[in-house]
Amino acid sequence: MAYVHVEGAVKYFPREDGSDMLVLDRVSFDTKEFGITCLLGPSGCGKSTLLNAISGLERLDQGRIEVVAKNGAPKGGQAKLGYVFQDARLLNWKSVEQNLTFALKGMEIPQSQWPGRLQKYLDLVGLSDFRNQFPLYLSGGMRQRVGLARGLVIEPEVLLMDEPFSKLDQLTARRLREQTLQICARLKQTTVLVTHDVEEAALMGDRIVIFRARPARIIEICDNPLAPGDRDIDDPRFIQFKKTLLQSVLKLMGTDEV
Amino acid sequence: MVLDEKTLVANADAGVLAGEAVALPSRTQVGPTWEAAKTVALRVGSILAMLIVWWLLTFIFPPSLIPDPIDTLKEVGAIVNTGQFFSEMGATLRRVGVGFAIAMLIAIPLGIVMGTMKSLENFFEPPVILGLTMPGLVWAVIAIMFFGLNETSAYAAVAITIMPMLAISLWQGTKSIDKELIDMSTAFHASPWSKVIDVILPQLISHILAAIRYGLGLAWKVVVVVEMFGFSNGVGYQVVRGFNVFSMKQVLAWAITFLIVMIFIEFGVIGWLESRVTRWRPKIEAWRR
Repeated sequence: MAYVHVEGAVKYFPREDGSDMLVLDRVSFDTKEFGITCLLGPSGCGKSTLLNAISGLERLDQGRIEVVAKNGAPKGGQAKLGYVFQDARLLNWKSVEQNLTFALKGMEIPQSQWPGRLQKYLDLVGLSDFRNQFPLYLSGGMRQRVGLARGLVIEPEVLLMDEPFSKLDQLTARRLREQTLQICARLKQTTVLVTHDVEEAALMGDRIVIFRARPARIIEICDNPLAPGDRDIDDPRFIQFKKTLLQSVLKLMGTDEV
Repeated sequence: MVLDEKTLVANADAGVLAGEAVALPSRTQVGPTWEAAKTVALRVGSILAMLIVWWLLTFIFPPSLIPDPIDTLKEVGAIVNTGQFFSEMGATLRRVGVGFAIAMLIAIPLGIVMGTMKSLENFFEPPVILGLTMPGLVWAVIAIMFFGLNETSAYAAVAITIMPMLAISLWQGTKSIDKELIDMSTAFHASPWSKVIDVILPQLISHILAAIRYGLGLAWKVVVVVEMFGFSNGVGYQVVRGFNVFSMKQVLAWAITFLIVMIFIEFGVIGWLESRVTRWRPKIEAWRR
């Protein structure tokens, strides 16, 4: 297992008029090893850009991002990263199982390991009975679980999740959050989760990195005082922690950004 | 929110129970067999209507211009029985098939490249648009002048006539594909080959099928013209022969065999292909009446 080390990350986007817009302003942090790190901030603040930079889909203009293996050696471009997108982004013409093998093939996992891995991760997300089904015949929550299984099946050093519950209805999102939390805890999966939802961050995050918007700049990094198993949304300690987080976020947003 | 949640859940449960107590009224449904029968009846009716119009026209025009439909259909039967149908149609189909395959092999990569790379799009756009505006007849003449009266000119004429149309269809199709899926495949390190085969081509299937339909329509027209110019077999040649002896019956009989083959390809081959390659897509027919 591993963690992500981000140091002095700077990213500009070109504006329509040709000038540059600063998106990430000297962002530095370490993610938790074996746990979930939440990047929390208002919508459009550059969190997703940062996640794309970690995954290699975007290049940074300055700074570096490293996936550091357990023994402390940087893994560079060799690190395996799983990605779970906001909408499931499945290949609708492939069955659930074929969507997973698409990732296995891309990551060059030996074919001998495929059957065992498919079984394990489809069981884990509870979709073994739907392995031959096509995505468009599944519900939104099930599709998102396929996306999760696809991210996990490659057994990544780090799993990146970009607001994976934001497009689901409230009840489905709530159940899927709990399931994801359990799965990540069971696998001791190092995970980076982007969210704009304070309660989600308090529930899922072992470490929470709070951003302010335009440009994204880190304001606060705090570790969750509650263990994953103790986070009950009706528990006063949880509510207290959520309040603290919310206050930090609101204070930082200022009045001009509402 | 926390305050009311338990009562809300309780109410929802009660609602479900109450709903279950009352039997759901069954939705009035005519059933799929009836729907299918209606579809067939409408299609057969349409063909019958056309035959009746034809038959009525025989009362106005002399048989040399509008032959009797029954006689013409008998002529079709004779063409099929003597085996002429298979040899002539076989020759025409081969020309269309080879020309079509050549056009596809060029148009698919060209369309994908034009849809994905801006610079190549700008480079290839003028020739493709020019090619589209060029009448098939002119291509037929050029091909025959260039290659002479042989099979090659037929293949070339068919290929070059339909290629721009196929390329445009795939080019536009490629531009409309889901870029986010490309990002996804990049995130999972898919190879370029896998991106084309697993991600891009499946999104182009409906564009390819539409292109095949239009392309076939164009290909028939060109191949008949090429055959008319002086080939000694093929449907086009037979039509010219009918014209030379001024036998409308013969011309129409060959035209009808042609239509039968077209219908077989359209509904049989392409329809089968379509249902096979789009089986992942749930049927959404609800909005059509």
